[in-house]
Amino acid sequence: MPNKLIDIIDVSKSFGDNLVLDELNLYIRENEFLTLLGPSGCGKTTLLRILGGFETPDKGKVIFDGKDITSIAPNKRQLNTVFQKYALFTHMTIAENIAFGLKIKNKPQSYINDKIRYALKLVNLEGFEERLPDSLSGGQQQRIAIARAIVNEPKVLLLDEPLGALDLKLRQDMQYELIRLKNELGITFIYVTHDQEEALTMSDTIVVMNQGYIQQIGTPEDIYNEPENAFVADFIGDSNIFDAIMVEDKLVKIVGVNFPCVDTGFGRNKPVDAVIRPEDIDLVKPEEGTLQGIVTHVIFKGVHYEMEVTANNYEWLVHSTDMFPVGTEVGIHVDPFDIQIMKKPESEDEEAVSVEE
Amino acid sequence: MLKNKRKLLAGPYLFWAASFIIIPLLMIVYYGLTDKEGGFTLLNLAKITEPENLKALGLAVLLSFVSTVICLLLAYPLAMILSRRNVNQTSFVVLIFILPMWMNFLLRTLAWQNLLEKTGVINSVLKFFHLPGWEIINTPGAIILGMVYNFLPFMVLPIYNVLAKIDKDVISAARDLGAGNMQTFMKIILPLSVPGIISGITMVFVPALTTFVISDLLGGSKILLIGNVIEQEFKQGSNWNVGSGLSLVLMIFIIASMALIAKYDKEGEGTAF
Amino acid sequence: MKKILQNIYLTLIIIFLYAPIATLVVLSFNDSKTRSKWGGFTGKWYISLFKDDAIMNALYTTLIIALLSALIATVIGTAASLGIQAMHRRYRTFMMGVTNIPMLNADIVTGISLMLLFVACRFTMGFSTILMAHITFNIPYVILSVMPKLRQTNKHTYEAAMDLGASPVYAFFKVVFPDILPGVLSGFLLAFTMSLDDFVITHFTKGPGVDTLSTKIYSEVRKGIRPEMYALSTIMFVSVLLLLILINMNPSGKGHDKARAEKTMSNRRRFGRVLMTRVVPAVLTIVVIAGGFFYASRTNISGKEQVVVYNWGEYLDPQVIKMFEEETGISVVYEEYETNEIMYPKIQSGAIAYDVVCPSDYMIQRMIENDLLAEINWDNIPNIKNMDETYMKQSQQFDPGNKYSVPYCWGTVGILYNKTMVDEPIDSWSVLWDEKYKDNILMQDSVRDAFAVALKYLGYSLNSTDLDELNEARNLLIEQKPLVQAYVVDQVRDKMIGNEAAIGVIYSGEAIYTQWENPDLEYVIPKEGSNVWIDSWVIPKNAPNKENAEKFINFVCRPDIALMNFEFITYSTPNKAARALIEDPDIRNSEIAFPSSEQLADCETFRFLGDKNDAVYNELWREVKSK
Repeated sequence: MPNKLIDIIDVSKSFGDNLVLDELNLYIRENEFLTLLGPSGCGKTTLLRILGGFETPDKGKVIFDGKDITSIAPNKRQLNTVFQKYALFTHMTIAENIAFGLKIKNKPQSYINDKIRYALKLVNLEGFEERLPDSLSGGQQQRIAIARAIVNEPKVLLLDEPLGALDLKLRQDMQYELIRLKNELGITFIYVTHDQEEALTMSDTIVVMNQGYIQQIGTPEDIYNEPENAFVADFIGDSNIFDAIMVEDKLVKIVGVNFPCVDTGFGRNKPVDAVIRPEDIDLVKPEEGTLQGIVTHVIFKGVHYEMEVTANNYEWLVHSTDMFPVGTEVGIHVDPFDIQIMKKPESEDEEAVSVEE
Repeated sequence: MLKNKRKLLAGPYLFWAASFIIIPLLMIVYYGLTDKEGGFTLLNLAKITEPENLKALGLAVLLSFVSTVICLLLAYPLAMILSRRNVNQTSFVVLIFILPMWMNFLLRTLAWQNLLEKTGVINSVLKFFHLPGWEIINTPGAIILGMVYNFLPFMVLPIYNVLAKIDKDVISAARDLGAGNMQTFMKIILPLSVPGIISGITMVFVPALTTFVISDLLGGSKILLIGNVIEQEFKQGSNWNVGSGLSLVLMIFIIASMALIAKYDKEGEGTAF
Repeated sequence: MKKILQNIYLTLIIIFLYAPIATLVVLSFNDSKTRSKWGGFTGKWYISLFKDDAIMNALYTTLIIALLSALIATVIGTAASLGIQAMHRRYRTFMMGVTNIPMLNADIVTGISLMLLFVACRFTMGFSTILMAHITFNIPYVILSVMPKLRQTNKHTYEAAMDLGASPVYAFFKVVFPDILPGVLSGFLLAFTMSLDDFVITHFTKGPGVDTLSTKIYSEVRKGIRPEMYALSTIMFVSVLLLLILINMNPSGKGHDKARAEKTMSNRRRFGRVLMTRVVPAVLTIVVIAGGFFYASRTNISGKEQVVVYNWGEYLDPQVIKMFEEETGISVVYEEYETNEIMYPKIQSGAIAYDVVCPSDYMIQRMIENDLLAEINWDNIPNIKNMDETYMKQSQQFDPGNKYSVPYCWGTVGILYNKTMVDEPIDSWSVLWDEKYKDNILMQDSVRDAFAVALKYLGYSLNSTDLDELNEARNLLIEQKPLVQAYVVDQVRDKMIGNEAAIGVIYSGEAIYTQWENPDLEYVIPKEGSNVWIDSWVIPKNAPNKENAEKFINFVCRPDIALMNFEFITYSTPNKAARALIEDPDIRNSEIAFPSSEQLADCETFRFLGDKNDAVYNELWREVKSK
């Protein structure tokens, strides 16, 4: 396991009365692709700006490579940032933009020229040296912004929702591009986004944040399959989240029906949250199901059908490759290991708030 | 088709602009190039080479240049400070500078007489503290002060508007790439604010160059600027041809400043309001 | 630390911007009429302001012009913006270029160009020419405010509205217009403010009887601004300030980010609403009421008999005008000028028709020689019998046969000095060249008066046309220039009262008033001799109301009226019946007001020296001024 590169210790930050980060702790390893994921206003951008040096935390420390950099100016840090709206210098050519950081470090011209050529090649924009930023498309500007940052050979690249302004297809292309870049450069990426799909696609580690707190840290698989609380479950992908009772170990009562599960250690007759992913629900013949319901909506989604089934007065969201017409009576079956049991939040702080995107 | 109809809306303005902007300017050209009997002549233009007129022009250029530089030096930091304050104070900032205009321009300038006179407010205060008096009234210094006072808003507002429009991330980006405060300013902020600076310069230089009121009120009529000469040709000397000829010479400066604007402020970013 | 420095800097700039305004506010409470002396606190100017027809009329004109020009400019400008937006890029650039001309052009050039246009088209200079000029320079402000908003609007909303069945006009007013409304409003307000603050362009495009506050103030500058003006400006400034504070008031303080964001949104909306519900109606009401008054005062004039009087600044008791109007039913349109040289071209060009003018001796001669005056029908002026024969005889020098002029005021030019600031008794022009009084000398800022001083000092005639003598005088004046504090006309009065200078060249009439205000001042006619002058009423040849003009002249020759005027302006009256009515013997026998004949022995009256010699004088004077 590679070493810790950045250690964020007890960092708090508020703007006026508004507490944005509350005693946050997090470490980032070398060569990691770490994503800060959360709804807008969750504090992820503030955390990134603290790393970049554009904000100073009210409390706490940021350790970079063993040194405390909490109050070091941005221009003295070995990190570079790719900004949300690119922030290219519109009065300079592409080449001048890319050369900006190198010129400040007084690198020789030949070195700078090599770097420009290398960086433009890396982002597939060879021959754009003399163009002006305003004549480029959004995707091209984005890539220039990345090129401008990486020529300085930072140890860490901070990316603040860099794909937010691009259209879907371009965004997907750029996701692969970023993964490729990260692998070629061999540096750490810290990536901020509110798009869970982006996070799942690219990251080594995802940090889910809400209201200034870290909700869960884990690999994309962990986060998706084993959400630790209802917020994470709701934020990552579609889910059915139920108020449930843990009857005993390996048995949970959902909407009044007992389902076998694999979780233990919650005690007896304790209220819990139960999460079931829509693709994990099997629709079967009524008599074969754990409970019965009626299909109320069907939408064709390409790879699968999205259906709503009403059972015991609850709406169940189901993804299936088999189609059941509206009005069909069906049985609902869930395999025990597809039911995710989570503790109810105990304090206000942990309260996961549902988020409108 | 819709667009074609919409163009017609500009019709009244086109008519107005032709009648009250273009034709009057042509009238000046006509008067400037003819003598009293209506014959063609270049003598009116040549009047500018007379030593007195040349001196009035030179002095006007000098004083307005100095005022413009002072305005720029005062206004730039001011605009920087204001642009970094709370964003939705824009209207407030504009108001601070527009508000004095509700007190008549002549009265405001006249009030400076009261402040600057030998027995005026400032000198009374200085005297109270046993400091040497400030003898500035009726000197070119007082005229410069009057120009700076009257035209400072026209320097502040365009620069402020341009600075306020600069994306904060662009400045962050420069810092991120290693630029210090000074480098960020010289390489990013200053070049990006050029349209505002140019617009401000022309909006101060042209009126300062052509003023006759300020030099009249604060210069004790001892100092004749080109504006005073032209005003006298029209209002007192009653030689409209010479006045027009001198105005034509003045227009060279105005056209030069329009060209400057056209070059550096294509998008009209640097408007004052 | 940095923040503190910034705040200090901001404060200094604000002090710089608002110090003159504070000064004016203070002056509005000054009991003394002159601005250079604090006479104690008073609120009386705020009361007398509303009784002063001239100022009120100027205010109404200013507001009406500002409102009308801003409104018309807003309509034309908004329509133009829509049209320009739809144009091809090339035409758009051209149109914006044209729009920029009045913005970038010097006011003086714009003003002159419009004046030339109006004269060429034979428009009578007046209210409508000012209005047209103001519309012209206001439209660009509107266009430049509306265009950016128009660029930001989403084109598709307009199309969407029409797709939903709206007619283009309906779609525009329902969808596009609300989007650009802030731009339109700020354009309107900007135009209104600019119109209000304009002087230069109005100065060149105005006609007789119409004054905006700016031109009114300018004509008063040389004489000393009347304190009512300060009071009026203070009222206007404070009401705008209050209005703005009202609009910008933010009742609650800080809040959460989100809440704040919402608040700013609603603030902006509220700003718009307040603007719509309060400011605009307020402005409209003010102007409509003002307009009502204005219209009322106008209608007084139109339809009835009138007489257009063109007189020196503050050279007639306003009460006299009122009495004349009441007694005869003829309304008076009253206009003022500062020097003969300013008045003359206006009469000569004939663009403006005046009925009665009050030029000085040499100017009357010039007007007679250039055939600009009408002969007076003496049958209509029975009050001429009150006139002292001496002055009728003296008038013959410039008006042979007394055909054209009726004497109104007379006096001498002399030295006014402050007894506490000079060491020796003063009796000679030579003191004006004394190094001791450097920067303490006020010189007259008009050609003939300035040269008269120099010529007399040299022992020549003040009507000299000898080039050598004139050059000698010019050199003397140039030599004097470094010693002169300022060249002024009527401001000598205020400056001398305020102890700004030790010595000033002044008209005898002003001297009496200055002594009332500052007993340290003394007037003397220098021993080398000086100028004795007569200002007389004349009727221009193109006067449209000649009989009313004669009625007016006859009226001011009435002894009681002549006395009123004497007491108001303190210039010597040639009306012997009026002089006999003066109660105070000190004044009736004052040597300043009525000097003896030996004092006047070496004094001369100005004569018109011909256009050619005038040009020489002007040329030499300009050489002096530009040195």
